[in-house]
Amino acid sequence: MVSLIGLTSSKLASQCNPDNFANACIPKLATGFNFLKSYKVDGEGGKEKVEYSYVFTKGTQYMINLCANGNATDGIVVSLFDSGRNKVATSKINGQFISAIAYPCNATGIYYIQYTFDGSTGKCGGSALGFKR
Amino acid sequence: MRIVMIGLVAAILLSACGKSKKPDEQAFLNSLDSAKKGPSIDEEVIGSILQQIPSPLEISVLLKESGTKYSFGLLNSPDNLSKYNSNYKKALNLGIYGTDLGYTNIYEQNQDGIKFLASIKSLANELNIGQFFDIETIARLAGNSKNIDSLLLITTQNFNDINRYLQTQGRANLSVLLLTGGWLEAMQITCQVASKDPKNKELREKIGEQKIILEQIVLLYSFYKEDENMASLLKDLEELKGAFDKINITYTYKESTMEVVNGVAVIKDNSTTTIDITEKDVENITRIANSIRNKIAS
Repeated sequence: MVSLIGLTSSKLASQCNPDNFANACIPKLATGFNFLKSYKVDGEGGKEKVEYSYVFTKGTQYMINLCANGNATDGIVVSLFDSGRNKVATSKINGQFISAIAYPCNATGIYYIQYTFDGSTGKCGGSALGFKR
Repeated sequence: MRIVMIGLVAAILLSACGKSKKPDEQAFLNSLDSAKKGPSIDEEVIGSILQQIPSPLEISVLLKESGTKYSFGLLNSPDNLSKYNSNYKKALNLGIYGTDLGYTNIYEQNQDGIKFLASIKSLANELNIGQFFDIETIARLAGNSKNIDSLLLITTQNFNDINRYLQTQGRANLSVLLLTGGWLEAMQITCQVASKDPKNKELREKIGEQKIILEQIVLLYSFYKEDENMASLLKDLEELKGAFDKINITYTYKESTMEVVNGVAVIKDNSTTTIDITEKDVENITRIANSIRNKIAS
């Protein structure tokens, strides 16, 4: 019984709460960007990726940032794919994990915002999307 | 018996695999098939389409940045509130007023914004989602033009929270209506502005690219064909889609380049879209969009 309680409390402690990370990411959007959406990044349960989509429009600059435990991105990578699934952006450049992408869109269409876990320990984070003209 | 058990386990596993699948186009088509068999609606698919529809704020910012003057007359009168007696009309006009509030916020016309806020709060209360609007905080922020960023943030968050809540409560149909109202209002504002400046290519293209969004909205309505009001609105939206079908959007992919600047991955997008839309197309779209919007708001 004691071990069962121990197991439950350790499970609770390790549970991902991506809402907190997503909310924490909103004020971290760079100055001048208007908030659009916040995204939960929960890789629990063996998920390899978390994906959302959004219609980006030509002439608008978007910013997608990442928040996880600590200051770093904890191995969470955000990548952007166009409707034909061509990769147009990623936050892992030359092996470096970057916490924000600035994407001045030149082609209107549906884009996929994909979060993957590259050596992530918590597989838990959040993200915010903002825009400016 | 053993064979039956193995078959049962395999069926459960296959079904579980199906459920974990991303709600992409194939999942959407699958859910359409299942919808034919019964009234079940794939809320996950609906949610994934809903969340990709861009915020009407983007259009308001475009209008302001392009030097278009603020015009209260373009918006739905906050006094029309008493006309909205059904949940269908309430949800659509909550979306319309949401766009109007965003427009007043972007133009820092806070006194007008407060009028919309009162109508929004009233409609939201009647739809049992009033708890998402902290009217006192919003009114306080609206009282000072220095708070514009906070005001935009809190109102965007409120509408995001409402949409999320409605979807978790199995009331995604209201979310679809809210979004449709918001989109139609942004459309009619853009069309009205474009009609006064027909040579403005950027505005024409902005209208043309709404084709992509309308296609997603029409997809959403295909889930609600059994709802009399939504089926009727779908007919109107399909007429609008007919006008958009004449517009060609050509996408050309070219690999992008990236560099890290001050800790941010800055992308240079080398892909392009060209949008072929004539003044006549804009006239047709304007006529139909305004007719639908006025039917909803009157």
